[in-house]
Amino acid sequence: MNAKTTLPEIPVDAETQRRVEQFLFREARLLDNERWDDWLALMAEDIHYWMPTMENRRRADKNGTYAIDRGALYNDNLRDLTRRVTRFKQPTAWAEDPATRHAHVVSGIEVYQGGQAGEFIVHSTFVNYRSRVEKDNDLLVGRREDVLRADGDGFRLARRKIIITQSVLMAKNLNTFL
Amino acid sequence: MCNANGDQPIRLKRRPIAQSIENLDQLLSLEQGRMSRDVFWDKDIYEQEMERIFARCWLFVAHESQIPKAGDYVSTYMGEDNVLIVRQKDGSIKGFLNTCPHRGNKVCFADLGNARQFVCNYHGWAFGIDGGLKGMHASETYEAAGMDKSEHGLHPVAHVDSYRGLIFATLDPDAPSLADYLGDMRYYLDAVFDMDEGGTEFIGGCVKSVIQCNWKYASENFVGDILHAGWTHDSGAKAMVGGPVAEVHKTPEQSYHVNFNGHGWEFNQDIVGNCATLGEKELLKYLYVLQPKVAERLGELRSKMIGAISSCTLFPNTSFLPGQNTFRTWHPRGPGQIELHTWTFVNKKAPQEIKDMWRKGTMMTFSPSGVFEMDDGENWEYSTRSNAGFVTRQQDLYLGLGHDTRVEDTDLPGNVYQGQINEANQRAFYQRWLDLMKADSWKTVPQRDVPKMKEGV
Repeated sequence: MNAKTTLPEIPVDAETQRRVEQFLFREARLLDNERWDDWLALMAEDIHYWMPTMENRRRADKNGTYAIDRGALYNDNLRDLTRRVTRFKQPTAWAEDPATRHAHVVSGIEVYQGGQAGEFIVHSTFVNYRSRVEKDNDLLVGRREDVLRADGDGFRLARRKIIITQSVLMAKNLNTFL
Repeated sequence: MCNANGDQPIRLKRRPIAQSIENLDQLLSLEQGRMSRDVFWDKDIYEQEMERIFARCWLFVAHESQIPKAGDYVSTYMGEDNVLIVRQKDGSIKGFLNTCPHRGNKVCFADLGNARQFVCNYHGWAFGIDGGLKGMHASETYEAAGMDKSEHGLHPVAHVDSYRGLIFATLDPDAPSLADYLGDMRYYLDAVFDMDEGGTEFIGGCVKSVIQCNWKYASENFVGDILHAGWTHDSGAKAMVGGPVAEVHKTPEQSYHVNFNGHGWEFNQDIVGNCATLGEKELLKYLYVLQPKVAERLGELRSKMIGAISSCTLFPNTSFLPGQNTFRTWHPRGPGQIELHTWTFVNKKAPQEIKDMWRKGTMMTFSPSGVFEMDDGENWEYSTRSNAGFVTRQQDLYLGLGHDTRVEDTDLPGNVYQGQINEANQRAFYQRWLDLMKADSWKTVPQRDVPKMKEGV
């Protein structure tokens, strides 16, 4: 993985760390419970929500494993995320009925000062397990790099980069957010 | 066409064709619009498909734009055979099995890149981009054994050729030419891959996923099944454009099924219907500005196909959607699984921001996270999986729509049927499947379709 943070890693105080962790844990619960509108409300107006696909390239290949102008499963702004949520909420979203059961497990949360005042760079790892009907079970594991922005008493998500381990997605679809 | 083999002796001895499964004719009753579910489930049928379809047909392997420079390569599949498609120093393209002729290990683990040589990790056998064995670790031991390096190159595919930037390869030395194989479908391919003078390119890399379905469910869907869109994709349409899918079944006079040699295209003449589902007005504007220029070059009908409600499958397992600009291959992985590789194609001369919108549009609609594809995978998985039932799979399936819709009096190439809500292309796809499955060699594959286009046009 070639993720690089150029900013120095300046840790935050324990209270900020705790509040960021609570934000991410609550976000995971909203997704587990299909509270799509509440989840969308956590996004900043200028959200960039990005999940590139992984290419197998030789280490010497300077093009790297992923890039912003290459394949992606998400490369979304708020309009795009809202469109995806609109599909989830349709009674004709056949692949969501009966409901998919989700578990979003978030761990390894590190919080650092961001580049702007009131912004935080947040690293975390995740395990996502989805189960559908009798025995469709899909597992995704990866790492996220977020930019959270202070907003009143809470935060908004301004940037998210999601790096999964799979290069061939071992599932028929990706009917969740990570 | 080039024979990638050159002068190298072929160390791969093709075994004689296996005896066919008996009574294949009983699987299909196309006149009655019926077919057996065994074609989606039976392991022996799958094995015969590997030999008589995938080791025989011209298969899509790459777009020219993916490998512009000498040494550029992509790793892909022909059936379950892993192949490397490599641009040569003279600009030609060769294809090789991605396996070392020494002990069989894979020689290239990258999906794509630029190579001066391919070196096997096991014993260090090193192959040039022309496939020739150049050297190996401890080469003197092989010299002592009297081994002749010139006899141990990477095994080449039988033929490589391209049409409008799309590169195809076949593993059968006796295959007809690519022009004959595609036949009159080339006329329609031009509407998408030659709509603009610069041709097309692939952008944004390849998105790969696995679906637990038989490969033919995906191919037959794109060969002619727009019918499913109005039902399956209602939620996706509401997400992207705020309303249901267009009711194309109400205006059959504007649309067609056309097929040739088992390839099929269902299309409307609404210019931008598919493209509209990406929800980007700028893309519609781009196509509307382009349309009169396409009409000048290719005529009125094809100019109305450039982004219309439509879909196409090139037999056996490559499909695309005009307007949404997704291009895909459904690689078989046993009777119950496919590996789906998808790309985004655009006109090379389109402005960058238009290309970027299409790259994002394919992701939003026809990718594993796309609001349309999301509902396809589940349909195909359970259409496949329900056939596990011993009694269930003895129930025939229906594909009888549009039986009396053949348009005889037409200048249009191919077999033409009125109305895109139709199953004529699906029936033609399975007829071609049956013809290939029954034939012991290309020589005995019946030529059912009469070309109107000239060879090599």
